[in-house]
Amino acid sequence: MRRRKIINVLLNLLVVAILIVTLFPFFIMLTTALKTDAASVAYPPELWPGEITFQHFQDIVNPMIFPFFRYLANSFLIAFITAVASVIICSLGGYSLAKLNFFGKRQIHNVTLVVYMFSGILLIVPLFQIFNSIGLIDNRFAVILACLVSSMPAALSMLVSYFQKIPDSIEEAARIDGLNRVQVIFKVVMPLSVPGIMSVFSYVFMQAWNNFLFANTFLSSMEKQTLIIGMRNLFTSQDYVWGRMMVASLLTAIPVIIVFSLVERFISGGRLDGGVKG
Amino acid sequence: MKRWKKKSPLTMKKKESILGFLLILPVILLIAFVVLYPIIYNVKISFFDVALNPNKPDIFIGWENYIDLLTDKEFYKVLVVTILFVAATVILSTALGLGVALLFNRKFRFRGAARALVMLSFVTPAVSLVYVWKYMFNGLYGIVNYALVDVLHILETAPAWFDNIVFAFISVVIFDTWRLYPYAFMTILAALQTIDTSLYEAAKIDGAGAWARFRYVTLPEIMPTIATIATLRMIWNFYKFDEIYLLTQQLPVIGVYLYKTSFASNDFGMAAAITVILFVIVMSLVFLLRKVVFKKNET
Repeated sequence: MRRRKIINVLLNLLVVAILIVTLFPFFIMLTTALKTDAASVAYPPELWPGEITFQHFQDIVNPMIFPFFRYLANSFLIAFITAVASVIICSLGGYSLAKLNFFGKRQIHNVTLVVYMFSGILLIVPLFQIFNSIGLIDNRFAVILACLVSSMPAALSMLVSYFQKIPDSIEEAARIDGLNRVQVIFKVVMPLSVPGIMSVFSYVFMQAWNNFLFANTFLSSMEKQTLIIGMRNLFTSQDYVWGRMMVASLLTAIPVIIVFSLVERFISGGRLDGGVKG
Repeated sequence: MKRWKKKSPLTMKKKESILGFLLILPVILLIAFVVLYPIIYNVKISFFDVALNPNKPDIFIGWENYIDLLTDKEFYKVLVVTILFVAATVILSTALGLGVALLFNRKFRFRGAARALVMLSFVTPAVSLVYVWKYMFNGLYGIVNYALVDVLHILETAPAWFDNIVFAFISVVIFDTWRLYPYAFMTILAALQTIDTSLYEAAKIDGAGAWARFRYVTLPEIMPTIATIATLRMIWNFYKFDEIYLLTQQLPVIGVYLYKTSFASNDFGMAAAITVILFVIVMSLVFLLRKVVFKKNET
């Protein structure tokens, strides 16, 4: 019994160690955001800033230095539209794959799974050429379209497994009450699936928000760029400052972390076993 | 009456199949336009010398892009680096994810909070993490070099982490393991939670110790999950781009090589040929591992 207790304490210490290592970069991000310029490049490095400054926060939201709110609005617009479109298209498609029988269903399902393995860099060369030839370069729609499709297999598969858990008997009961199939979908199945749909919405929102490759490749004008790209531009500009970079990193991460914490219980509770791509 | 009964299920079925097809149609169209058509188009342009100016015609050059690529030593170096990167990150992130999942599956205080916090590095956008990583690994004033050289005395001189291929490799592997192990953790933890506890009780009655219980009860139950995530991770990391490209320009994995060929050298025909080869590799991986990939979705 005593031995067991010791082992338990050691294992708990290991938990603490893992948390420290995993969270350490976030700690550095936060403290560097509060450091003065001199302290951020001091050697040996300070673990906790001797002098706390909020100058970098002021700089980042100052449009003369960094058009933060413009980038934020662009990121939000792209992520929101992608997520709304995904929820509509994948709910209908997911219902079809989960509950309806039609010719070629298995093949379609398999194609979506294969697409799960292809995205990003594998499509960037031809997509750039195609979008260029139809004038979609420097158009937000190109980014939305690419993000929508690359997150679609996971979104679809989450919803399929969610819909499959809704018993057929509920739908049959509704049909006996005189609803037709389309009404059943909108009045019975979708309301029952709100948690699943919300999780998919958040997942796609996060994917589009975090997207670097498509936004970086398809958007050329500054006023359309997202936070992610803006941050990179801030870093590659000659006068980058670590404190500003860390503030920008924090402010870019926070919306995603909030969204994730809202749906965390649906995603990591094993309730959505469609798998999340990352 | 008889006739109506006979006909009704047929039309119902037909109706259902039309509805089913209509509902999935947007998905099919999107995949066709954004995935299938580009793949075919890409094969086509890989045989061309693509003009930079869209008004000028592309020149057909046959297999030249492929011949140039396959006779270029640089390309084989890229392949080797990519394979090493995939092997290292798949093994490390899956093993760490498994370990942490087992550890966090025990009962302890603040377990829910701990599980959520571990996910942070996976949830946060890569770009937000890349710069703090660059800062920590900075050759002049980074805290990592400070710890390794002046505190722990493991290294004698401070390495410039992102400027040399070996150190770039190490730092990218550490970064990727740190960033991606929560995915393995999350998935394996979910699988652990579905294991029937009576199996453990039965094993205990049979006198199985902790290791035996893990070896003969836990492991067989979560093995399919581990195989699936390792497979998916392998495929995804094979063409990983964002994080590596943002962290260092010194690690030529195939994704970065491809991106540089197209958008830095503007050699789109060559980039298309690289894409085709990458596509063939990924497709073969999917095909070889199809049992693992598709099995998950049957259950």
